[in-house]
Amino acid sequence: MKDREEVMDNVAAHEDWKECFSRLAPGLVLFARQWVHSVADAEDIVQDAFVKFWRRQHDVGNRGLLYATVRSTALDLIRRDSRRARREREASREDNHTAEPQFYIEDDSQRALAAALDRLPHEQREVLVMKIWNELTFAEIGDALAISQNTAASRYRYALAALKKDLLPQ
Amino acid sequence: MNDFAEIENELKKLRPVEPSPAIFARVEADLREPVGRGKIVRPRFQINWVTVGATLAAAAVLLLFALFRFNQSTPAPLRAAASPAPMTRSTIPPSALLPAGTTQVVYRTEDEGLLFPSGSEQPMRRWRARTRETLRWQNPATGASLRVSYPAEEVTLVPVYGQ
Repeated sequence: MKDREEVMDNVAAHEDWKECFSRLAPGLVLFARQWVHSVADAEDIVQDAFVKFWRRQHDVGNRGLLYATVRSTALDLIRRDSRRARREREASREDNHTAEPQFYIEDDSQRALAAALDRLPHEQREVLVMKIWNELTFAEIGDALAISQNTAASRYRYALAALKKDLLPQ
Repeated sequence: MNDFAEIENELKKLRPVEPSPAIFARVEADLREPVGRGKIVRPRFQINWVTVGATLAAAAVLLLFALFRFNQSTPAPLRAAASPAPMTRSTIPPSALLPAGTTQVVYRTEDEGLLFPSGSEQPMRRWRARTRETLRWQNPATGASLRVSYPAEEVTLVPVYGQ
């Protein structure tokens, strides 16, 4: 399997968008689902953002910009449709059992971990998603979220500490 | 090894759900469309007419007061070799109002995300700042004051640079 750097080089060279997209899409859709609970909505967001990004022929070595585009597209979608925003807020208050799963769950410990992840504050969860499943650096996360690199790193540590405390109560 | 290595490893074992295969076809179809068609819509610059109106009204008030002051302070014919007397409390006409201060309070800023303006080589981040500006005039002789306050909105586009 080609490593991530090679894939990103291909994106930058505009060679095989399908290979690049297939590598990035699961993480991008997971990232988009921080704002919308429906997989279909998240895929629409990723589709719009990726196409917008690709057409502009940006240097995809700047991954922060790609994720900033996804985030911006998601927020635009929510702003455009206030009813959708209300549904999303209601869905976020509902029991997570009714939501479409974000991960392939293999055992109870993973189920507990995914549930603990859902309980994190939004700003911590989005940093965690970008770091763990999208492999962005704190500098890239800072660019995408318009926060400092140190703030991104702090949110990440707070998120891990909260998960650890949630899963391993003293 | 940091304190969180174990929890990080557990998180990495979680695999995100794969997107549906249809998304690839949709992206491909979108990319084949010529630019300018399809769902990509560039954001328009929107003018907030209420703010424009309030700003113009405030400017008109300012102009009126400037004219008023000018008329009030039109001096009598100057006498040669006489330095102008300093404006003291007693020399200020009872109806004159002098500018006493301006304040601008920014009560809300909002990051409205990235834009791709046409003709621009790079994306821009749009910031919207809502402010309240207050202009104040006062007559030092009588203590009478006038205050005009109006809302204002400022949209700033900041270029986003890559690393």
